Amino acid sequence: MLTALLIAMLTAITVWWLLIQRLKDKPWTKQGVVPTSQETVTSSAPKVGLWVFLAVVSSLFGLFASAYMMRVGGHGGLASWQPLDEPNVLWINTLVLVLASGAMQVARNRIDRDDLDGGRSYFLGAGVLTLVFLAGQILAWQQARASGNLGPGSPAYAFFVLLTAIHGLHLVGGLWVLGRTSVRLFRGVDASNVVARSRIRTSVQLCTTYWHWLLLIWLGVFALLLST
Amino acid sequence: MAYVAIADRDHPMHDPQTWIEKYVWSQDHKVIAIQYGSVAIGVGLVALVLSLLMRMQIGFPDTFSFITPYNYYQFVTMHGMIMVIYLLTALFLGGFGNYLIPLMCGARDMVFPYMNMLSFWVYLLSVIVLLASFFVSGGPTGGGWTLYPPQTVTEGTPGHDYGILLMLLSLAIFIVAFTMGGLNYVTTVLQARCRGMTLMRMPLSVWGIFVATILGLLAFPALLVAAIMMILDRTIGTSFFMPALMSLGELNGTDGGSPILFQHLFWFFGHPEVYIVALPAFGIVSDLLSTHARKNIFGYRMMVWAIVAIGALSFIVWAHHMYVSGMNPYFGFFFATTTLIIAIPTAIKVYNWVLTLWRGDIQLNIPNLFAIGFIFTFVHGGLTGLFLGNVTVDLPLSDTYFVIGHFHMVMGVSPVMVLFGAIYHWFPKITGKMPNEFLGRLHFWMTFLGTYAIYLPMHYIGILGMPRRYYAYGSTDFIPESAHAVNEAITIAAMVVATAQLVFLINVFYSLRKGKQAPDNPWGATTLEWQTPQTPPVHGNWGPKLPVVYRWAYDYSVPGEPKDFIPQNEPPKGHHSLANS
Repeated sequence: MLTALLIAMLTAITVWWLLIQRLKDKPWTKQGVVPTSQETVTSSAPKVGLWVFLAVVSSLFGLFASAYMMRVGGHGGLASWQPLDEPNVLWINTLVLVLASGAMQVARNRIDRDDLDGGRSYFLGAGVLTLVFLAGQILAWQQARASGNLGPGSPAYAFFVLLTAIHGLHLVGGLWVLGRTSVRLFRGVDASNVVARSRIRTSVQLCTTYWHWLLLIWLGVFALLLST
Repeated sequence: MAYVAIADRDHPMHDPQTWIEKYVWSQDHKVIAIQYGSVAIGVGLVALVLSLLMRMQIGFPDTFSFITPYNYYQFVTMHGMIMVIYLLTALFLGGFGNYLIPLMCGARDMVFPYMNMLSFWVYLLSVIVLLASFFVSGGPTGGGWTLYPPQTVTEGTPGHDYGILLMLLSLAIFIVAFTMGGLNYVTTVLQARCRGMTLMRMPLSVWGIFVATILGLLAFPALLVAAIMMILDRTIGTSFFMPALMSLGELNGTDGGSPILFQHLFWFFGHPEVYIVALPAFGIVSDLLSTHARKNIFGYRMMVWAIVAIGALSFIVWAHHMYVSGMNPYFGFFFATTTLIIAIPTAIKVYNWVLTLWRGDIQLNIPNLFAIGFIFTFVHGGLTGLFLGNVTVDLPLSDTYFVIGHFHMVMGVSPVMVLFGAIYHWFPKITGKMPNEFLGRLHFWMTFLGTYAIYLPMHYIGILGMPRRYYAYGSTDFIPESAHAVNEAITIAAMVVATAQLVFLINVFYSLRKGKQAPDNPWGATTLEWQTPQTPPVHGNWGPKLPVVYRWAYDYSVPGEPKDFIPQNEPPKGHHSLANS
């Protein structure tokens, strides 16, 4: 169901986008150079690439969520669904990830204003908070296992670890990009080097979008876990 | 990197300096396309040999002692998976997608060329991992290409130990490769089209590849989810898909998993996969027919909308593959209805292809023979899909040879006809040589008639009730002797068709060495790839200035014009060319 909604949403976005691209054009009647959006959007290819990637990531989590719901809903064999007691540390982890996202936004705002020195500590801080979040998630696995209400072979525990691990892996991928960008930020860029500064700005913008989106996905995953 | 694809430039940038950079670690979309194509065709030949081995066993049982039931199922599984994923998907999107998108859109390259290069090497890794399963203990998996649990990972099934792991791992790697390529294809179409190339001026080949890529990016995650969960079931004993099972009177330790959940995930990927293969074929065949009938494509806008509509609908039909798994009758009704609705945009496309040919100046050259052949095979395969889309008809026909006949016609032979047509069509541009006409025609007629000789009789033996996936039939009352004779004939036809593919390979190598030099635009085509300053196009495609597009891609036989085609970059009368300004 969730997946169907996701696909419906993506399809609606695609159709809307096609409509605004004037799909009603009759290309055989027009000749000459028609102004395209190309001149205005050329520099945003990495952003478009990121959004396409985020659509793929969303599809992945939507499908995991669908599988989870179907399993909860009784597609099982002999054993019925036994819910997991979500460890309380997940609430703290959520707060940490919100802070990481916030720090990323502050870094982006400052770097957008060309204040590279002011932005880089927030940028690095976002990375550190994300590491804390990941450590917290590993702690949550241990707590869930230690609470003893379910064995490691139980579907609820396996889904819990799987969903959090896949989300964590995406954050690790983000941290790799964040690390590379941080190196460039801390190495410093000459104020006259417009191209290099522009590339750093774009990297920070992409990281911010990615962090916000993964926060949203985590909130969705957490809500899903709490609801069952 | 993004700026390289869309900028005029009067000096070389990022051009390869060494042989390795040019032909191995190449970031040039044309080289990557050829790399993708070569590996896909190579691994496709492996799958072809596997299918021959299967047919030899079915046609002449008790003859070949080296084909055991165990490896028969391995042949079936590997044949299916290789053909669908590693040949068709890779060749259409990795091969033709890579070659055509930048050239047809008027770009210098993909927007992320480094990632594009990685995409190919990761794809090659997935192929190596897949083929490695032939050499591990127990051999490759024999659970059928759908890999249904619990059978696939249960003792007794071929390759249940290492083969299935390598298969799942290979699929996961392939999906990573596809995602890297797919991000490039979509972003390049959206961001790197040259001046004047509006979406509605794009050739239908690009439209088909573009929408198929979007389908792939949204559908392949379902296969990834299924693969990850099954790997965990197999390795660390989770029970995502594994219900409680008794083996020799004892529970085997798994409990609570759902095999049906796997089927839903698999087919949520599996059905869009049909269109991931079909939509590029639809687009390419539209361009072939229009070019070689010297006539504009009939109903261009309708064709674009049909591609988009088919793509959207393909996500809500998946459970028609699961009628026999059992489902709520209302679901069956829903999925049967959506399945039949897809027939509408598909039929529109077929009518438009036929109407494009209608009163055209049809050139019966090799690419067009394959394109017209495609219309036949696709209509036949499509019509039998209407039978199988209905629950009540599907139930008795499911798991018979009727299904094999249907899906091979519609998503085996048909896309392959387009692939061959496309290879012959773009061969002069890719290699600078013309393909040999006689060998090409021989290849077409052997393939076209041969595949009919294979798959048409399968519908009849399917209706007789002959089940698929059987190693040997023995003597049963409901299978008459004549059905066995038909099976022998099918096997002989399969050998003829396989031989025809050797003719194709000979043609490729012969034409590469001895073929006539190709002119820049041998077919008189309008699209941009035929207007490059060099043939084959060099790195950067366009020289210092990018092309400018003034018209759609189908200005053929325009009344009052001296030539029967007007290239997309030719300015209207009285206009200056902006490309040189």
